[in-house]
Amino acid sequence: MTLFAAVFSHYRRHPLQLLALATMIVVATMLWTGVSHLTYQARASLGQSEQAVAERRKVVRLDGQSVAVADFVTLRRAGVCVMPWLEVQRPNAQGRVVGVDGLAASCFAGAGESAQAWNQPLNGKPFLDIRDAAALTAGPDDRSAELTLLAAEQVSQAALPAGYRLARFSLGPDTGELGESFLLNLDALGVLVLLITALLLRSVYQLGLAQRRDSFALLHRFGVSPVSVNRLLVLEMALLAGLCVIPGVALGRLLAGLLGSGFGQALDNLFDAPLYAGQAASWLSSVLTMMAVVMVVCLIDLIRPVSRAPVTLLAGQRRTLALAVLLFGVVLALVASSLVLVFVAVALVFVGAGLLAPVLMSGLARRLARAAPDPLKRWHFAEFGVLARRLALPLVALQFALAMVLAMQALVTVFEATFDEWLSQRLAADFFVEVPAGAESGLAVDWLANEPQLAASGDWQRVVRGKAELRVSESEPGQGVDLLAVAPVGRLLTQWRLQAASDQPWQAFARGEGVMINEQLARRRQLAVDGPLTLTVAGETLSLPVLAIYPDYGRPAGEVLLNAGLLPAAFKPGFESLSINPGNLDIATVVSGLQRVWQVETVTVRDNERIRELADTVFDQTFLLTRAMTVLTLILAAAALLIMGWVFFSTRVWYYRLLAVWGLRDREVAGQMVRLAVSLTIGIAVLALPLGIWLTWVLVHRINPLAFGWSLPMAVYPAFWVELIGLSLVVGLSIAALMRRQLQQPATMPASASSLAGGER
Amino acid sequence: MEQALLRVHGLAKGFQSGSEQIPVLANLALTLNQGQSMALMGRSGSGKSTLLNLLCGLEHPDAGVIDIDGQRFDGGQASDRRAQARRWADLRRQRIGVVFQEANLMPAMSLLDNVRLRARLAGRDDQGCLAWLERLGIGALGDRFPDQVSGGQRQRAALAMVFAMQASLILADEPTGSLDRHTADDVADELFRLQADHDCALILATHDAELAARCGQRLDLAHPSSSSSPSTSSMRSTRSAPADRQQ
Repeated sequence: MTLFAAVFSHYRRHPLQLLALATMIVVATMLWTGVSHLTYQARASLGQSEQAVAERRKVVRLDGQSVAVADFVTLRRAGVCVMPWLEVQRPNAQGRVVGVDGLAASCFAGAGESAQAWNQPLNGKPFLDIRDAAALTAGPDDRSAELTLLAAEQVSQAALPAGYRLARFSLGPDTGELGESFLLNLDALGVLVLLITALLLRSVYQLGLAQRRDSFALLHRFGVSPVSVNRLLVLEMALLAGLCVIPGVALGRLLAGLLGSGFGQALDNLFDAPLYAGQAASWLSSVLTMMAVVMVVCLIDLIRPVSRAPVTLLAGQRRTLALAVLLFGVVLALVASSLVLVFVAVALVFVGAGLLAPVLMSGLARRLARAAPDPLKRWHFAEFGVLARRLALPLVALQFALAMVLAMQALVTVFEATFDEWLSQRLAADFFVEVPAGAESGLAVDWLANEPQLAASGDWQRVVRGKAELRVSESEPGQGVDLLAVAPVGRLLTQWRLQAASDQPWQAFARGEGVMINEQLARRRQLAVDGPLTLTVAGETLSLPVLAIYPDYGRPAGEVLLNAGLLPAAFKPGFESLSINPGNLDIATVVSGLQRVWQVETVTVRDNERIRELADTVFDQTFLLTRAMTVLTLILAAAALLIMGWVFFSTRVWYYRLLAVWGLRDREVAGQMVRLAVSLTIGIAVLALPLGIWLTWVLVHRINPLAFGWSLPMAVYPAFWVELIGLSLVVGLSIAALMRRQLQQPATMPASASSLAGGER
Repeated sequence: MEQALLRVHGLAKGFQSGSEQIPVLANLALTLNQGQSMALMGRSGSGKSTLLNLLCGLEHPDAGVIDIDGQRFDGGQASDRRAQARRWADLRRQRIGVVFQEANLMPAMSLLDNVRLRARLAGRDDQGCLAWLERLGIGALGDRFPDQVSGGQRQRAALAMVFAMQASLILADEPTGSLDRHTADDVADELFRLQADHDCALILATHDAELAARCGQRLDLAHPSSSSSPSTSSMRSTRSAPADRQQ
């Protein structure tokens, strides 16, 4: 028998341990690869989108009028490098397309740009030749078609003829640092998953190693040096990691593929950046990274310099240190101003909680053991303390996983509830009628206002969407924001929940005495209620106070809500619709009336329920990834604790059999097993609750505003607590059931010298 | 005639190894009265530990009858196995003390708490537990954990446990096997002294002929491979030990 075979013989005797270790490596690799693969794709996609929608400049008329072909001619004659950009609404609401003029763009090439740069998909809006785009318009009066004159980089304000100025032009919403924050979120999820799986991996490996120490001591007595044994352990782990990491990476990529559609939907909804398939992190880097992680996690004790003794802390010192780290993390989370610092705070709190949990459990057990008058209860608590210390790693991993699941469940549920409420407010009307291209909404407004039955029993409002420029200062060009204009101001609008508001905001809004802004814009521009806001809408400047700040979920763009009565006549809506609650009036009557005034044969009518269904689908898709990752991690942690608990309990079978030798009946011994295992798993679940609640708070109040621009209300769901405690109960009962099987087989006396001397205490 | 504390006859036990049935004990008989002691001798694998396990109900015999403390236990396919298991548990709890070669103590409890636990399980008052440790010379070590004392001190604590529970039958499986000669002698002295003082019966499995010679009776179990029949065992009286009462 070779030395390697002798070292490896442990796994021949305990194949389940080898299987558990291999499974841990495969699953850890799969989870981490899945997340990192998606993060890589997201990073590449966001980068590509940012490049495509990078802010450019356009030339606008000083008089506020829209630019036309004549302006293009004037500018080109003056030697200004501009390119026409025609954005057109496709028929039947199939989205918008952008027509660009390749010939005119040729002057951009000198500035390091090329018309070819536009030849890529963007927001589902393919670029067309400007002639083809123009063919899609409903004629020269089509209000949905918008012409923009893009200026090349080298164009300066001084080069422009009189009557023109430069302005910012951006396709995408102003996401600020949100894209990076979103990626940081994904990275953090990946790190958390890796941390949990690494803890589990280490615990399974360490347990096996502890059982092999006697064999190593024997080999040492036979003249084999510890260095040789260590080398073989490294070789063994390298072989195992090599065999397991590769299928793990393959499974991770498969997982990423399965979750890709939901993830792409999330990316698209949150950042208007589609997920481009086919952009994958390299196999080699994934394999090498995970190999390194597995080797370090399992063998870190071997690579520590011999000369440096491990730092050992007394229990009291460890408790103090853990508490200090935990408190520092809590305070940091409160005051941190950047997402990175919040993540550092979360990491500190997790480290502190992870160090504290086993100490707390064993400390409590010690106190209870001292106080218990019944020796059998004293034994129970003493044994509980041993288990809490010896199973610290898998217990802490389970605690982290439980906390993560609790927080994610709470976040998703509170978001779902808030989003649902918000959507109900936005979709307060039963029906939405799109104003057809070329149709005059004013005619419809007049007809609706003069319909007596509608006035008596229904509600309606005109909703206009478009763009405006937010002027921060005179010297700086304006910043594009979404504009939402509504009139008349009625019950469909006034039931919106406001985050902050001045006195009687809706009345002031109805009188056109101010605007409202969404939370994203308020946070990004640090705008507050009653503060001034200067907007340029179709060339006209409006200076109005902010009357209120309203929540706006699921997208990063800043938005201004304006009374539609304030819109300048020259304003070109991007989209226009009528929200209608017909009341006693039949919707068919309303539709036929609108068809009549618009002189069209069909109008597009959407009902609230359909939009809600679509929103629910999008919502589910958005959270598919996080739900899947957290549930997988929880399953892994629970399975690991089950395996670890079973293996570790097995090492103590002899002592549990002593109870039977001392006269406890089988059922009583089994009862003791159940009480021990269940109190252990329930105990860690109870300790996971405050961590999970705190993590929920961090997610909704700290991470979400920094990563996505909007916050959510904090809510706790005791039903989830019960669910998780139920899961812990199942894990505990499963360990006890496995132990009961073990107890029915003859027990062998503990083999190791330390066990005989009672070293397992 | 004195009522026997333990009477065994026709006892048989074998183990299944794959498809092969390996006999360990067959047609074994023995009798032990209160206050008597018996040494079980035999080579490794001769069935000493198996016999002790059968005598305290931790294993079920394939055949034979065990009468102990007025209760009868039938081997083989007894219909009342569950009820028998409960009666055995009660006997172990209150009447039978078992001492193994090692690992007799719960590692997470102090020596004193171990003794208290055993006494309380037997339904005895645990007030005198410290006194038992003192009688065995380890009273000062009561608050220590098993890993904080020597092997001999652990075995003394194990003896304190069986005496604190006031066992009427002590089954000791090589109780001094892991100790050095001097310590082994000390522990054995204490065992025989207390057995005599408390008039309990003792069955001692050992390889040590000197130790065996201190018991009133000796049962030699033959190694299964040394005979075509596994039942070979011989029972004889050793020189009368002081601890044994007159038979």
